[in-house]
Amino acid sequence: MWWLKDVWVIDPSQKISAPRDVLVKGGQVLGISSSLTEKEVLEKAQGESLETINGKGKFLFPGLIDVHTHLREPGQEDKEDILSGSRAAVRGGFTTIMAMANTQPPIDNRALIEFVCRQGERAGYAHVLPIGTVTKGMLGSELVEMADMKEGGAVAFSDDGKNIQSSEVMRLALEYAKLTGFPIISHCEDKDLAGEGLMRRGVASGRMGLRGIPASAESVIVARDLILAEETGGKLHLAHISTAESVELIRKAKARGVDVTAEVNPHHLIFCDEEIGITDTALKVNPPLGSRGDREALIEGLRDGTLDMIATDHAPHTQAEKARPFAEAPFGIASLETALSAVWQYLVLPGRLSLDRVIEAWSDTPAQRFGLTGGSLKPGTSADMVLFDPDFSEVIEPAKLVSKARNTPFLGKTMQGFPVMVWVEGRLVQRDRTVI
Amino acid sequence: MKWQRKDILAIEDMSVEEIRHILHTAKVMKEILMRPIKKLPTLKGKSVVNLFYEASTRTRTSFEMAAKVLGADTTSIAVAQSSVSKGESLYDTAKTIQAMRADVVILRHPSSGSAKFLADILDPAVINAGDGQHAHPTQALLDIFTMQENLGELEGKNVVIVGDVLHSRVARSNAWCLQKMGVNVTFAGPPTLVPAEMEGLGVKITHDLDSALPGADIVMALRLQLERQKSGLLPSLREYSHLYGLTTERLKKTGKQSIVLHPGPMNRGVEISDDVANSVDALIERQVTNGVAIRMALIYLLIGGSSNVVA
Ligand SMILES: [Zn+2]
Repeated sequence: MWWLKDVWVIDPSQKISAPRDVLVKGGQVLGISSSLTEKEVLEKAQGESLETINGKGKFLFPGLIDVHTHLREPGQEDKEDILSGSRAAVRGGFTTIMAMANTQPPIDNRALIEFVCRQGERAGYAHVLPIGTVTKGMLGSELVEMADMKEGGAVAFSDDGKNIQSSEVMRLALEYAKLTGFPIISHCEDKDLAGEGLMRRGVASGRMGLRGIPASAESVIVARDLILAEETGGKLHLAHISTAESVELIRKAKARGVDVTAEVNPHHLIFCDEEIGITDTALKVNPPLGSRGDREALIEGLRDGTLDMIATDHAPHTQAEKARPFAEAPFGIASLETALSAVWQYLVLPGRLSLDRVIEAWSDTPAQRFGLTGGSLKPGTSADMVLFDPDFSEVIEPAKLVSKARNTPFLGKTMQGFPVMVWVEGRLVQRDRTVI
Repeated sequence: MKWQRKDILAIEDMSVEEIRHILHTAKVMKEILMRPIKKLPTLKGKSVVNLFYEASTRTRTSFEMAAKVLGADTTSIAVAQSSVSKGESLYDTAKTIQAMRADVVILRHPSSGSAKFLADILDPAVINAGDGQHAHPTQALLDIFTMQENLGELEGKNVVIVGDVLHSRVARSNAWCLQKMGVNVTFAGPPTLVPAEMEGLGVKITHDLDSALPGADIVMALRLQLERQKSGLLPSLREYSHLYGLTTERLKKTGKQSIVLHPGPMNRGVEISDDVANSVDALIERQVTNGVAIRMALIYLLIGGSSNVVA
């Protein structure tokens, strides 16, 4: 049994944000109280061994749920695999991760869905929940067997990595997914507008001679998908929103009652295109980093709920792949191990976002939208929890990272504010930044 | 001035003093080039590697000649690349070159930023001989050298660069270099090739060439890649030529005896009419000599050390 004493508990699912004592027993949250005496706790332990943690100055919140991670297994295990990715997850404070389907082969049938589930269970760290593709082979034409894949354990459908270019296929997907009750997760990117672009089109791309991707490459597809979701009454989730126009489109669609949610990645909240140097392939990401104005609009959108969730879009790549000239390096940032700390340091500490909002957007909201267990510390729920130390600082070094990937813009930087204890189903899986 | 720089990657990060020092050194180099016996022992025992991922006989030969006049040994590595992602990576090639113990590496590569990428890995000096659409500093320096020879001090002069500036490393490097020298620079061309974001370079932008010409001391035409039409950036060469082609008639609008430059090779009848092209040709010989002088100056400044050829 665990007794977390005098810790600041943030649990948006119960609207708690206050100092509390938390008891965990038998893998479950036993209760949250204002304060407990040793006598009371020992009574509840009923002879079970008790570990007491002094939580003063620290935060306890539900294990984070990341709805957008690329774990690369099967097929690209040189970048990451389900074991290394789920270890990276718990090191970063995530106890549930949704695995994107654009592996090799893509996760487009029940057998592959079950494979991902089994690999996640074998790894035994974060809960790994597979997202299936929308179309067979991610080719954008024929729908997958959504009902069967749901039976196998899928939690959503997405051709992420690629946009569904055919509006008719997207419309049909939104219709057919009603059989499952799951949202279609859309990676919004007009192929022609994006072209061979490398970064956001703007003054910085023009100055460096790096081919630009206009903001419209995302926003025109956001508009299309919102119209299709409204027309079909289907469930839509928009991945990695990065432009001010998209935020405005979503805000208006929500006001009309469209069944849409949207996520934003930490890097789009923290960086902008002007900060990219001509050899900074760690900042080469898709969708590309936007302008300062976009960044402001994204923060505002997350604050007012237009953007519902934060998601990492953890996209691991090998060092050799990123050690190339900008045009030749792949898109993506590996972020499971740094995302929470980055949001704390760059957004919460300067007062741009409240920690309560961050935790809501990264636990309760994703759980609600995708119908997942977790994301809550209600008594009787599985004890997936994070103890966060706002004063813990660490240099981001290759030797410490447990992900196979090193493609993070924070490499070599000192960051402050980290999860120092993480439990999955009441079992401690990370302590003092070391995965157990 | 005391030379500190390890590499020549882009004009953008250079100071005016550095640029002036390079131009001054090039002047001395040009005098040496004009001597009957143009071989110096200055860089004897030093080795210069030409690493070219794009074919460019003109630029490569210019660098080779520059190195040879200074007495250095040269090696050329031509890498034919149909696709950038195929074949040995630039990183691996860099490691090989490091092992060759070269003193200077000249890089021409289709990816923007590849020169800085290489310079960050290598101990030897790197000279950017053109990286993607990013920069071509030696071309800009030689253009400015030629302009100075013709016009003297450039401060306050007006230069119009016409054409596909979006995809042009020559336009970018010239814009930086000219503005640092106090020159007013205007980019002219259709909105698809001269989009608003190019204002980030600090230049004036116009889509109406004729309105930009009055007062221009120099007009530089860029080579129009003929595939731009296929990718929809312009409707036809005919219309392009009508709006932006340099003709004798149109150049009268400058109201001056303006100089016309072109980085070559020219599409006669497209961005430049035949008779104007001939006037550019008349300058070509001098441009070639100036190119060698600039490259001699750079190689010398980077690895010449204490040797004292420039008194
Ligand atoms: Zn995506």
